[in-house]
Amino acid sequence: MAPSRRRSGRHAREAQRPIPRARASLDPLEIVLIAFRSIRSNLLRSALTTLGVVIGVAAVVALTAAGSGVNASVTDRITSLGSNLLTVTGAGRGAGSRVRGAPPNSITLADAQAILALDDPRIAGIAPQVQINLSIQHGANTSYVSVVGTWPDYQNVRNTTVSEGAFFTQDDNSSGRLVAVLGYQVAQDLFGGSQRALGQSVRIGGLPFDVIGVLPDKGDTGFMSPNSQVLVPLTTFVTRVHRDSPTGTPRMSAVYVQGSSAGALSGLQQDLTTLIASRHRQSDPANYDFRILNQADQLATLNSVTGTLTLFLGSIAGISLLVGGIGIMNIMLVSVTERTREIGVRKALGAKPRDILAQFLLEATMLSVGGGILGILAGIGLGAVAGHALSVPSRVMPQSILIAFLFAAAVGIFFGLYPAQRAARLDPVESLRYE
Amino acid sequence: MARDVVTLEQVRKAYRLADTPFWALKGVSFTVAAGEMMALMGPSGSGKTTLMNIIGLLDTPTDGRYRLNGEDVSHLSEFDRAVLRNRTIGFVFQAFHLLPRLTAVENVETPLTYGGYHRRARRRQAIDVLDRVGLADKAGSLPAMLSGGERQRVAVARALATNPTLLLADEPTGNLDTRTGNEIIALFHQLNAEGATIMIVTHEPDIAAQTARTVRVRDGLVEADEPHAAVWPPATAGSHDAAAQRSGHGPE
Repeated sequence: MAPSRRRSGRHAREAQRPIPRARASLDPLEIVLIAFRSIRSNLLRSALTTLGVVIGVAAVVALTAAGSGVNASVTDRITSLGSNLLTVTGAGRGAGSRVRGAPPNSITLADAQAILALDDPRIAGIAPQVQINLSIQHGANTSYVSVVGTWPDYQNVRNTTVSEGAFFTQDDNSSGRLVAVLGYQVAQDLFGGSQRALGQSVRIGGLPFDVIGVLPDKGDTGFMSPNSQVLVPLTTFVTRVHRDSPTGTPRMSAVYVQGSSAGALSGLQQDLTTLIASRHRQSDPANYDFRILNQADQLATLNSVTGTLTLFLGSIAGISLLVGGIGIMNIMLVSVTERTREIGVRKALGAKPRDILAQFLLEATMLSVGGGILGILAGIGLGAVAGHALSVPSRVMPQSILIAFLFAAAVGIFFGLYPAQRAARLDPVESLRYE
Repeated sequence: MARDVVTLEQVRKAYRLADTPFWALKGVSFTVAAGEMMALMGPSGSGKTTLMNIIGLLDTPTDGRYRLNGEDVSHLSEFDRAVLRNRTIGFVFQAFHLLPRLTAVENVETPLTYGGYHRRARRRQAIDVLDRVGLADKAGSLPAMLSGGERQRVAVARALATNPTLLLADEPTGNLDTRTGNEIIALFHQLNAEGATIMIVTHEPDIAAQTARTVRVRDGLVEADEPHAAVWPPATAGSHDAAAQRSGHGPE
């Protein structure tokens, strides 16, 4: 390949000059420097070229952060209802049901008592629940609240403990005492504070109740929020507050059953289904007049929905990243044409085709990787701002950062390859003549 | 006895124009010995540029044989030619062709970079050759800050950087006024005296006359190949008038 460098005559004198030894090939770091210089010398254009990738990567990071933030917040909300939860509710008015006119809340207090009577070790707690919207008064102050009748187990099953006072007891329930536990917001509205509400008297549906406890702030507002609830003993509710069924057993909106462990849930779910189906004399599983929801199933369904949503948002953002890559290719092609003479000069000075290829490929990759880094920073910022604005906690996922970054680098290499090959293949004679 | 640097044997080069080959070179043979300073002359269309591209390893002959330092390089791959070009050929162009974003010393370092020299050795060597062309003090200047003559001297330094066996100068004074052009020719004489082999490609007879040998090319053939006494140094009287006559070629 290289000629033997025989030196003779006057060249011998020339050879006395200390010549540094040449290495086999160009140091990769040198190509990085060459590419970096070239980017720096055209800073505005480089920045604009990068913008597409910045926006693409920022969108990927921000949107997946928002998606996983939504997922996390809904998951939190579900698990805050209690852990290892089975929810037994009435069904039958839904689509596909042939049981016409079936009451929506076919589950009764008797069903709850039958579950309790099982005395199954897999059951950690049972809390039937019935509710009605009523006004609550203290002096001149009136609030509209959701009055919930339940058993004392509610505090364990639904993961609800009082911040002030105490929850009602089994004794309160069986005696049907007029005691109430107020939601945080109810106590605020009527008394201006949780502490002040304790021991006070309120009127619910015309009956005087003693406030024995107040729930902590659940950080949520709205009518369905625990902050706007008033909890009373179930017996009190069905005998005095709201007697809906003069003949039969009172109907429940739901019965919450807490399993002793997550692993016990699906077996328990089957047994309860069998129990209630036989109690309700149901034979067609497709048309049961009740439904038992498994919290684990709900979470799995939710995760798959939000996972799909996140993937969808991420893909849309990925498309914009692709567009950014095409922008890089476009500019690199222009740049190769513009710098035809430079390429010719470099080749005349001994640049090998692969040196030129590496220079332009690296330039494109540095643009896209630089854009990727800026995009990640912008995406984290954007996710935080958007999360704040939509009051959805955004959660930046490290794996989405990694994927976006690698994708950006891949985009640079992919879209930089063609222009770089064009540059490497330029004929030195032609390109030196190029004006 | 000086060894031959360039040996051309019946070198032919065809370009394909609408299916019929056009022979730019029809069989060129001559040799250049080490330490020679000679001119390659010919009008445009004579084939001298094609010949220079082949000698400079930018192009390959269609047939015939080209030996560089005794080694047949007629059919080398582009990669091998690039490596060999880097080590054995130093180009000086009419339009200087310095890389505008690089300083003088960085321009001189460029061939050393492609040759794989270490950074520190590279810088030392570059400063050394800049000193040889008398521009050590302009090492940090960008080409735009240099005069035409200075730019061409940086280009000469760049051509010398890898200590090549052949300095190939294509119309090196074409963009310079007479006085500055003469300075470049003087530099070539100095380098030649230090041992460099130099080939100047030109169409100007008075430039060719300043070397010791002229190879004349016409219509793809060597028309004349004669050694002569170098007219050097040129008569200084009237050189400024000559510069005024070629006012279109003033320094940039």
